[in-house]
Amino acid sequence: MKLRLFYNSAVIATILSYLLIFIGGLVRVSGAGMGCPSWPKCGEGWIPPTNVDINQINTTLAWIEFTNRMFGVILGISIIILNVIAIFYFRKNHNLLFYSILSLIFVIINGLLGGALVWFELNPYIKTAHMLFALILVSILSYICIKSYKMLNSNLFKGLTSNLVLLKSLIFLWILIVIEILLGTGLRTNIELIVIENPLFSKSDQLDALPYYKYMHSIVGFALLFFSIYVNYSLRNHSLLLAKQIGYFITGMVVLQIFLGEMMIFFDLPQLTRLFHTWGSSWLVGVIIILYNCIKNE
Amino acid sequence: MNDLNKKLILSFLIVFFLGTVALFTLREATESKIQNLNVLSSVPSFELVNFNEKIFTDNNLLDKITILSFVFTSCPDACPIMSENFSILQERFKDSDLIQFVSITVDPDYDSNDILKTFSEKYSNGNNWYFLRGDKNYISTLSEKGFFLSALNLPAGHSTSFVLIDKQKNIRKYYKGTDDAAIMELQNDIVFLINEKT
Repeated sequence: MKLRLFYNSAVIATILSYLLIFIGGLVRVSGAGMGCPSWPKCGEGWIPPTNVDINQINTTLAWIEFTNRMFGVILGISIIILNVIAIFYFRKNHNLLFYSILSLIFVIINGLLGGALVWFELNPYIKTAHMLFALILVSILSYICIKSYKMLNSNLFKGLTSNLVLLKSLIFLWILIVIEILLGTGLRTNIELIVIENPLFSKSDQLDALPYYKYMHSIVGFALLFFSIYVNYSLRNHSLLLAKQIGYFITGMVVLQIFLGEMMIFFDLPQLTRLFHTWGSSWLVGVIIILYNCIKNE
Repeated sequence: MNDLNKKLILSFLIVFFLGTVALFTLREATESKIQNLNVLSSVPSFELVNFNEKIFTDNNLLDKITILSFVFTSCPDACPIMSENFSILQERFKDSDLIQFVSITVDPDYDSNDILKTFSEKYSNGNNWYFLRGDKNYISTLSEKGFFLSALNLPAGHSTSFVLIDKQKNIRKYYKGTDDAAIMELQNDIVFLINEKT
């Protein structure tokens, strides 16, 4: 009963954090990052103005950015609830307690990083850090989810034999996807810097001006595809249906991401494609953690 | 329908819903940026003289995107930053012959043509930046009545705003000339005006 409560609140926190990554992506893609020109207040008040501005605040952009902050607060509250449950019921389960507290620390740090982004007027390094900390947060929350799920359904996971090579390839796959996301964020930051210096550049000029590592992003993308197919192949005789399903999900998502990435280069529908490109990759980060712990024999 | 299919359909619905919300939000955001650039008023007719003694009137604003400011060369605080920002924008848009810059001196008694020429050589890297002078009272009125920018106690009391003027001599927006974020916004708006169909 207590465990189910803990598991449910972990699932809610995880879903909320993915939703928050989506909204954060929307802020970046729509150019609403400075929609609220101050932090933690939004302009003069705690809530952005609803009528047409006096101080040249674009109210639409302010509300997009404000929604991001509000969801951040909601996620923070849900993680506090998770911690309260952990402290009350799982004081002896050091593992769950430790990771719950860790998730609280990371959500606070990332909230402050969001504030720093406004103070330092969207500094590209802080942007990357904000994204990286969000990825670490979903990883921690996904870990808490699968751990408590395994405790709830222990009979499902009885008698599994760990495949060490497979586990190692999953760790490798996780590192690769994080590198790939950082490469992608780096490329985007680079494009933004190029546009600042050369506002008249066309899209192809921008791509030409990107440093050599633009090819790395594609190469790592196909490496991800290769390894995820390998993971599926290794899972083909696995007794756990859930593990196989997650395996298919990973490959499907990698294929979709490669497709969306190519779409951004060759077609002119950048904003929505960019949003789902970022968001989909963030799913991979958490899902690989889940698969790893799913097939790991404790 | 089994459990997996239900979950798959539900996830597709959620993704579709999020996509729709995102598309709507993105459209609203673009729309709001355009609305922020609505025509505020028209530039009044004026006649001033460039430092090379050529006459410059409001008709020189036609078919050009103009960024205009009021400065004076001996100004200690804001003007060097404002002129530096003009310089940066001039460099970034050097490949477009649609853009021009206009600095009007609010201290014509001190800022002779020679001094304006020296000032121009210090900041300008092209021939699309005009440094204009005229009668002090005329400039004061032009600033206050024509561009709606305060001009109390000139020269020190001049406005530090930049004015963005479109190809039809319309005032589109004002920017804090000393603020980096405002300059970025101005830069994006210039690109928007370049691509604007007229």
